Amino acid sequence: MINGNEKVCVQGITGKYGKLHTEKMLKYGTKILCGVSKNKNIKNINGVEVLNNMNDAVEKYNVDTSIVFVPAPFAKDAVFEAINAGIKKIIIITEHIPQQDMLDIYKISKDNDVMVIGPNCPGVILPGKSKIGIMPENAFKPGDIAVISKSGTLMYEISNYLSKYSTGIKVGIGLGGDPIIGTSIEEAFDYIIRENIRKVVVIGEVGGNDEINGIEKALKKGYNGDIKVFFAGRTAPKGKRMGHAGAIVEGYEGSIEYKEKRLKDIGIKVIKEISELGG
Amino acid sequence: MKIHEFVGKELLREYSVKVPKSYLVKEKPYDVKFLPAVLKSQVLVGGRMKAGGVLFAHEKSEFESKVDELLFKEIKGEKPYGVLVEEMIPIQKEYYVSLLLDREEKDIIILFSENGGIDIEDNKDSIIKTNFNDFENKIPEKISKILPKLRKLFREKDLTLLEINPLVEDINGELYALDIVMHLDDNAIFRQDWAKEFIENEYPFHFVKLDGDIGIIGCGAGIVMATMDAVKLSGGEPANFLDLGGGAEKNITIQALELLKSYNIKRIILNIFGGITKCDEIASGLVEFKNNNPEIQLYVRLTGTNEEEAKRILKDNNINYYDDMYSMIIDAVRMVNIND
Repeated sequence: MINGNEKVCVQGITGKYGKLHTEKMLKYGTKILCGVSKNKNIKNINGVEVLNNMNDAVEKYNVDTSIVFVPAPFAKDAVFEAINAGIKKIIIITEHIPQQDMLDIYKISKDNDVMVIGPNCPGVILPGKSKIGIMPENAFKPGDIAVISKSGTLMYEISNYLSKYSTGIKVGIGLGGDPIIGTSIEEAFDYIIRENIRKVVVIGEVGGNDEINGIEKALKKGYNGDIKVFFAGRTAPKGKRMGHAGAIVEGYEGSIEYKEKRLKDIGIKVIKEISELGG
Repeated sequence: MKIHEFVGKELLREYSVKVPKSYLVKEKPYDVKFLPAVLKSQVLVGGRMKAGGVLFAHEKSEFESKVDELLFKEIKGEKPYGVLVEEMIPIQKEYYVSLLLDREEKDIIILFSENGGIDIEDNKDSIIKTNFNDFENKIPEKISKILPKLRKLFREKDLTLLEINPLVEDINGELYALDIVMHLDDNAIFRQDWAKEFIENEYPFHFVKLDGDIGIIGCGAGIVMATMDAVKLSGGEPANFLDLGGGAEKNITIQALELLKSYNIKRIILNIFGGITKCDEIASGLVEFKNNNPEIQLYVRLTGTNEEEAKRILKDNNINYYDDMYSMIIDAVRMVNIND
C-alpha cells in the first residue's frame, strides 16, 4: 500500500485540483518531487518542477509513485504513461473514467505488477506521516484503526468519528466507488495482515460483493483482528442508480440485507449507526 | 444510460448482426412500408410486452389506430419516444445472450441460455456464465459466430450491458436479434456522439426523486446514502437522493436547492464533508438561496476543507449550522413530525 517513503509525482499538476492538493500534500509531509502536465507554459507549482512526461519524471527524480488528477478523457493514457515509465504505485483520484478504460488499466497494471488504487477515490493516508490523496487531514488523527472505504466522503465522516471518539487511524485507504477498481477490499486486507493491524473498519455500500469476498478471504488467511462493517444505501430503492455506478442494487445479492446475513453467518458485526463505532 | 431499442438495433446492423427490417414512427402521417408488422413502443422500462407496449398489425385498417394507441400510451409512467415498426420473423427457436461488464471478474462476461424469451427470469437455472477465453465449447457454434461481433460493438461503443432476448432462429436457420436491452457507460458519453441527442438528465449532479418529505443534499454518493439511511432510521422519509459530487461550487448548490424547491420540498438537509469540495462555496450558495426563499427550512452541517470560512459566512447571515450529522438529522425529522 503506502509506507510514507514514496517518491511521488503528480500527474495533472497544473489543473485546479492538482495544484490545490499538491500544496496540501506537501504541507502534510508527503514527498512530492515533481509534477507532469501537458500544459507546456507552467514550469513550477509550489516550488515543484513541472515536466512534460513520466519518463522524464522517473529519469530526473527517480519517482516510484504517481497520483493522477488528469481529466477522465485523458486518464487512461496518463496511467499507461506512468506504467511504461516504470512507476509501481498509482493512485487515481479522477472520477468519471470510462469503464472500458478501467478494464484496460486493470489488465495492464496486473500484467506489470503495478498497484493501482481508485479511480474516483480519495487516496491513501498514514495519519501524521504522509498522504497521497485529497482527504481533509483533520479527520484523521494518528491511531491504530485501519479504515477501508469505497466511498470518499463517508470515509472522512467515519474517520473523523473514530479520531474523536475512538482510538484514531493507523491508515485510511480509499478504494473508490466505481464498478471496476484497481485494488479490491481483499487486497487491502492483505496489507492489513502484513502490517499486523488489529482493528479494521470497512465502509461498504449497496451493490456488488466486494466487501463479503474481501472479509471472507481475510478470515480464511487467518486474520483474527477486530472487524466492523458499516454499509451505506440501506434505503436505496431497488434498481435505481445512486450515483456510484457501483451502488446499483443488483438483485438480492447486492442488497445490504443479504450482505448483513452473510457477514452475520461468519461472525462479523455490521454497524447501523456511525455512533456505534465509538469507544 | 439506457439506449432505445431502435438505436441499439442500428448499432447491431453496423456490426453485421442481423436484426429484422424496421423503421421508427413519431408522428402522423404514418408510413406503412410492410404488413404484417410488429409495433413496439420505444420506452426504456423493462416488461414492455406485459405492460401492453407491443401490438401486432395485420391490416392497413388497424395499423394507424394501433400506432396511435401506442404513441399516446404511457408504459409504467414513461412516455414513448416513438413506435418501432418491425417485420415479423417466423420463429423456430429462442435463445438468450447477454454481454456485461462484471465487476468481480473485471472482464466482459457472457450469459447464454437455450430458453430465451420473456420468461427468462423463471429460467435462471438454464443460464450459462462464461467469458471470451472460454466460450467455444459451451455455446452452440452458430451463436458463437456472432459473439466476437458483439464484443467489438460492446468495447467500441462503451457499453456496460448488451442483452439480446430473444435471439431467434427463423425457419431458414438465420439468427436475428429480436429484442435488446443496451446500456451505455455514462462516463463515456463524451466520446459517443451518437448517444448525445438522447441525454435527458442535464443536471450537473446526480438526482433521484423519492416519495418522502425531507430533502437531502450531500457531496459524494456514500455520504448521501448514509444520510438517507440515518433519516429513515430516525423515523423520517427522504424525498430524494441528490449527490453534488466532488468540487461543487456556489451555483451548483443553488441549482440543487432550486430543484428540490420545485418539488415542493420544505425541509432540506445538507450534509457536506468537504475534501475536494470547498465548504465556503457551498455556504455562499446557501446564503443566496435562503435570502430568496426564507420559508424553506435548511438543516446544515459543513465540515472539512475551508470549514471556518464557511461557518463565518453562515453566522454572518443568521443561518444555523450543526457540528454533528446525527443531531441535525434528529432535529429535521422531529420538526417534520411536529408539523404533520
